[in-house]
Amino acid sequence: MKISDVIVVGGGLAGLMAAAVAASRKQSVTVLTYGSGSLPLASGTIDFGSLKNLPAHHPYKKIGVSNLNAAAKFLVDITAQANLPYVVGEKIPVVTAVGTLKYSALVPESMDASQLAGKKKIFVVELAGLKDFYAPMLADNLKKFFPDKTFETAKIDLHLLGGRDITCMDAAQLIADNEQPLANELKTLNATADDAIILPPIFGVMGNFSRSTVQTQIKAQIIETTCLPPSPPGIRLQRAFMKFLQSSGVKFFENTKVVRGVVEGRKVTGVVVENVVREKIFRAKKIILATGGFYSSGITMRDFDNPREPIFDLPVFFPTGAENWSNAQLFSDKPQGFATTGIFTNERLNPIDADGNVLFDNLHVVGNNLGGVDKIFERSAGGIAIASAYKGATL
Amino acid sequence: MEKTTVVVIGGGATGLGILRDLSMRGVKALLVEKNDLVNGASSRYHGLLHSGGRYAVKDQEAAKECIIENQIMRKIGKSCVEPCGGMFTRLDIDDPAYEELWVKGCADSGIEATPITLDEAFRLEPRLSRKHVKSAYLVPDAAVDGFRMAWQLIDSSKRYGGQLKTYTEVIGFDTVNGELRGVKVRNQFTGEEYEIGCDIAVNAAGGWAGFVGKLAGVEIGVQPDKGTLIAFNQRIVNHVVNRLHKSSDGDIFVPHGSITILGTSSMSVPDPEDTSTSRAEVESLIKIGEQTFEDLRDFRILRTFAGSRPLYIPPGGAVGRSASRGFAIVDHEQDGLKGLFTIVGGKFTTYRLMAEKMCDQICAKLGNNTPCRTADEPLVEEVSQADKDRARKFFPSYGTNLAATRLGVDRFKKVVERLEADPESRELVCECENVTRAEVEEICKDDTSFIVNDVRRRTRIGMGTCQGNFCALRAAALFAELGTEPSAKDSLARMKEFLQGRWKGIRPVLLGRTLRETEMTRSIYELSMNVTGGDAR
Repeated sequence: MKISDVIVVGGGLAGLMAAAVAASRKQSVTVLTYGSGSLPLASGTIDFGSLKNLPAHHPYKKIGVSNLNAAAKFLVDITAQANLPYVVGEKIPVVTAVGTLKYSALVPESMDASQLAGKKKIFVVELAGLKDFYAPMLADNLKKFFPDKTFETAKIDLHLLGGRDITCMDAAQLIADNEQPLANELKTLNATADDAIILPPIFGVMGNFSRSTVQTQIKAQIIETTCLPPSPPGIRLQRAFMKFLQSSGVKFFENTKVVRGVVEGRKVTGVVVENVVREKIFRAKKIILATGGFYSSGITMRDFDNPREPIFDLPVFFPTGAENWSNAQLFSDKPQGFATTGIFTNERLNPIDADGNVLFDNLHVVGNNLGGVDKIFERSAGGIAIASAYKGATL
Repeated sequence: MEKTTVVVIGGGATGLGILRDLSMRGVKALLVEKNDLVNGASSRYHGLLHSGGRYAVKDQEAAKECIIENQIMRKIGKSCVEPCGGMFTRLDIDDPAYEELWVKGCADSGIEATPITLDEAFRLEPRLSRKHVKSAYLVPDAAVDGFRMAWQLIDSSKRYGGQLKTYTEVIGFDTVNGELRGVKVRNQFTGEEYEIGCDIAVNAAGGWAGFVGKLAGVEIGVQPDKGTLIAFNQRIVNHVVNRLHKSSDGDIFVPHGSITILGTSSMSVPDPEDTSTSRAEVESLIKIGEQTFEDLRDFRILRTFAGSRPLYIPPGGAVGRSASRGFAIVDHEQDGLKGLFTIVGGKFTTYRLMAEKMCDQICAKLGNNTPCRTADEPLVEEVSQADKDRARKFFPSYGTNLAATRLGVDRFKKVVERLEADPESRELVCECENVTRAEVEEICKDDTSFIVNDVRRRTRIGMGTCQGNFCALRAAALFAELGTEPSAKDSLARMKEFLQGRWKGIRPVLLGRTLRETEMTRSIYELSMNVTGGDAR
């Protein structure tokens, strides 16, 4: 039976990144995924969070900042190859669907709101029949960030209304087929080079082609926002990765549920996947575990105070007791205890137990199943995902 | 000064029942409620329309009242009652001697309890524990939607001239020489204080009846008794499933549409506003529940919630589960205050009977001889097939029926008109509960829709599977556009408030697939929408 150099379990941001990095280093890579990963849910921007004053148990301490920078550079290269240009910076503003600003480190050029600088008038444009995008609310909230600019809302009709609801994803697919009706409608705004146009993320589902086509016809700078899932910018990033994996000969198995590992002492020799007829074993020299946290079922919890990692039954660290598990406020200035649940590792990202003993030498844990910090609160989930994946793939 | 004949204090089932009854008898009445309608025990309970089986041993008077009212409610409240039937199951750990008492108690109370074989029980309820269940009976329990019933009671009252003011708190009574002249109230939004002149006031404030009594200087024996419940995201049971034993915690499962409610606990609390729930309470309910349904932990919990039963404690009486579920009417003329009544205790199933008895006394005082008709006339008319067919062009039949029973004839017709006229109004604001934009627009116009949560309770947006993940944004945006209160314009605050309201019930059940949903909520609203950062970071 063929033995891969690397098996990656999980097809979210961390899994795709790990597979791409390993493949770029001429390794034979097999990816096993069960769900669709969390990228369709994500904004497509990658936040790093703060890199300063990190506690010793912080995943970034194990990963190392140099890997974060290398990972960012790698991601910019990969996406550029798919005509999905990303910009890198410490604090790039992004307009959200509700009209707040968020700040990110890796942002698709189409969402880079620093391009609003110097613009006098902002058009916030909604599409008739498209749900989840409310131009008046967005403009009302965004005004607070830009008191010197004038705002105007507009509604354009691309005759999207069919027999059912239209999401940003539906609109993006329709517009990718033919951008011209959108370009024609935007022309009627008579926006000048001194203006900007803010739209929901509807410029296609592959790269930046659709936006380029429209932008060349419109003088005003066009900016996309984030949106409720499914999110076209997240899917564009996913597809950019997939394109790279396909051209690199990575074997990608979807709907493949890994149920347990095959281990010999401190070595994992393969993983067992569930199959309709019988179980099947995939073998590899190295395994990268990128199964995610609670959202992706990389960690599950049937009973209170008993979270589990379901494939290797790795030790999971978590805050005990109801009072430490969550905050009374959903949104507050404090991290949520439950969100710190996860696996602890050494500097090689090998899982460790409570005494610091390494459990497996060729198993590397990356992405959202790393424990210790509330990555959503810190805004570090994206940075930790790509940096740990990069390190896991290059070790 | 605003004037009416009777002021009804409290917008729970009892108060609403009284408003309807008085209005139907031609008595001018106005109901004041300090919050939104059914903010207390009338919505924070398991939604069980008792057959009386639960009281067949301990309190046969209550059992008899239940079975009679149960039959009446099925007749007059078709669109808020789901006639799913009930089952009593005795487990191996339950006392067989109690079963004998119970069978006799049901017979004596006029409750039809049909013994069925275990095979039949497992066929009807496949998830029942084959290990523990030892005997089973069918009874005429049903599920009832407290929210829906409240809106329908209001619709019915309004048809007869009944009036309603929500978010209007009673702050005092105006009396002259021991005789009531009016009720002093405060508008909760504007803070404006004013008096409503009246001949009679009824304190139907449930768990708050003691506080209202204090304002009038009278002592009322009411003990708020908190019950905690769990809502599961699946229909685990087809019938109301009760444990056949001496009434205790966590022994009733009630199916509602696509969910199941497990309840309840019983804990005396000083404050009826205390609707807190804890992991310990949840764990204890699940532990008891999984004796009847062994795989209970594999079902996703939507949320937990709690409400306070207003138990009536006569001087020297028992508290907690031992306290009577009966009700009491007090004419405070005996305390030297002519014109004030208090009605306290009882249970949701018998709200109509309580209202009837109360109104009989009021009408006697007013010299009104009109008989009570609340048991004969349906709360609302049924939506016509023609209107349903019109609506089916725009949304699925399941959604059509939900909307029809939720909205009632008049509003449903208006919603269908909106759907026909404006294609954009057909979008689903809430996919989980099948709520269209047209319905949200119509309900936002309602005179009891002040805050976004009022719209939530009336339409059910945010109350389904996703617990607001998708509709919080939509609801806040629509409410900013349509809401009448100035606070509606602060869409970010309203959005966070909406999600925080959901969080309150999710937090004590944060495990299993509920954790996944919460991670999704945080990913959307903290990462993609940055509702916590904004300008700060």
